[in-house]
Amino acid sequence: MPHFFFNKKVILLLVGMVFLVALISFSLRDRTNATLPEQIIKDTVGVAQSIVAKPANYISGIFNKIDSLLNTYEENKRLKARLEDFAVVQAEAADLKLDNKKLQELIDKSESLKDYNPIHATVIARNPDQWEEKIILNKGSSHGVEKNMAVMTAKGLVGKIILVTPFTSEVELLYTNNPNYRVSAMVLGDKEAYGLIEGFDKERNELILKRIDSSLTVKKGQQVVSSGLGGIFPKGVPIGEITEVSTDDFGLTKMAYVKPSADFSILDHVVIAKRTSTVIDGLDGNATNKDLTNPPEVNEEEEK
Amino acid sequence: MVRFLIPSVAVLLFLLEPEFAMLSPIEVKGHIYYLVPRFLILYLIFISIYYSRQRAVMYGLFFGVLYDVFYIDIIGLYSVLYPLICFLAGSIVKVIHQHLVVTTSISVILVAILEFILYQFFYLIDFTAIPLSEFLRSRLLPTIIANALFLMMLGWAFKYLINARVLQRAREVS
Repeated sequence: MPHFFFNKKVILLLVGMVFLVALISFSLRDRTNATLPEQIIKDTVGVAQSIVAKPANYISGIFNKIDSLLNTYEENKRLKARLEDFAVVQAEAADLKLDNKKLQELIDKSESLKDYNPIHATVIARNPDQWEEKIILNKGSSHGVEKNMAVMTAKGLVGKIILVTPFTSEVELLYTNNPNYRVSAMVLGDKEAYGLIEGFDKERNELILKRIDSSLTVKKGQQVVSSGLGGIFPKGVPIGEITEVSTDDFGLTKMAYVKPSADFSILDHVVIAKRTSTVIDGLDGNATNKDLTNPPEVNEEEEK
Repeated sequence: MVRFLIPSVAVLLFLLEPEFAMLSPIEVKGHIYYLVPRFLILYLIFISIYYSRQRAVMYGLFFGVLYDVFYIDIIGLYSVLYPLICFLAGSIVKVIHQHLVVTTSISVILVAILEFILYQFFYLIDFTAIPLSEFLRSRLLPTIIANALFLMMLGWAFKYLINARVLQRAREVS
């Protein structure tokens, strides 16, 4: 069929296919910034989305309230049991805080990795097709949000900012399949053990804490918090609790399953943590972006 | 009035999808089920069936681009799949009867096809590693059920709205 090749429609289709593949591969690259048309679309849709999100959040809030009302009795019983311990712990904590402050003044140390400026944000959308675990917030670069900042709820870390436009920002949640997504974490105990949160176990619904020194002991039930050593996150943001410890694939280091403390199913208000002490992206400040061997994006993630 | 109602319903559904997505995933007896809201494409399929295939494809392209840019960050995925599904729906309807039950089931089947193509695509580019059986159990089936329920509740309203527009258009022409 020689005329087949001269058919306008077929040629158009082929050109379209090539264009499509080019477009997809362009957007699949690890991009650090959204292009201008993308930013415009994102901001416009974001504004409309945040208008719709308000009543939607309100309604889901009502459902939550009803839900918590139904559990009131059970919860009350449990809380009363814990209240007695609480007073003791609180007094102790206040005492320790004071002690800590005095000691810090003594050694002239004013900055801490723990300090951060919170930026409160509302979740305006969740990626509806749920293949990538992303949420979109109503605060963007004009509010001081920057890429790679930690995002958390009152209960714990939920993710980090991966893309910022002037009025919206995108968060990649902790339970992602992305192998470059790492969070430097430590296990609280008599002796702190450091590791990296790497990956998520779909079947167990738990995070995986890898690269723990095998000479250190970590036990089930210990708390895992962010270490702040990745250079971007503040220190001490709760991540979860260890549920199981085993050795990793090669038997060189330990790994542990961590049950996240934050509730990922209903996220409406989150806090973006802007660290007050110097933010270092990668090895040596801004020089990472000029890295010669690796693309900057990958390198940044790895240092996390 | 009706003229502007059709695109505004589409915009509304587009903005409502992520709000409903926040209710998902749900956990029942230790199993996790993902419900993916596909309201907009269902509506577009109805437009394609009852109103005009060309119009539906145009809407599909427009919202597909928005969807890609705002949520997915992979441009060229939904912007192709949405018009394609609309085109398929418009083509199928030429050979079958336009009863509401028939069109509802066709819409649900098309959504299932859409989900499957998306799964294949994300599997290909390593965004997901779940096996096929897991995909069928935890994603496809709950999604189909949820969207079928949605369509059963609102399908007649879509049809009513689109028919009103078709009538109005016929009156304008005559």
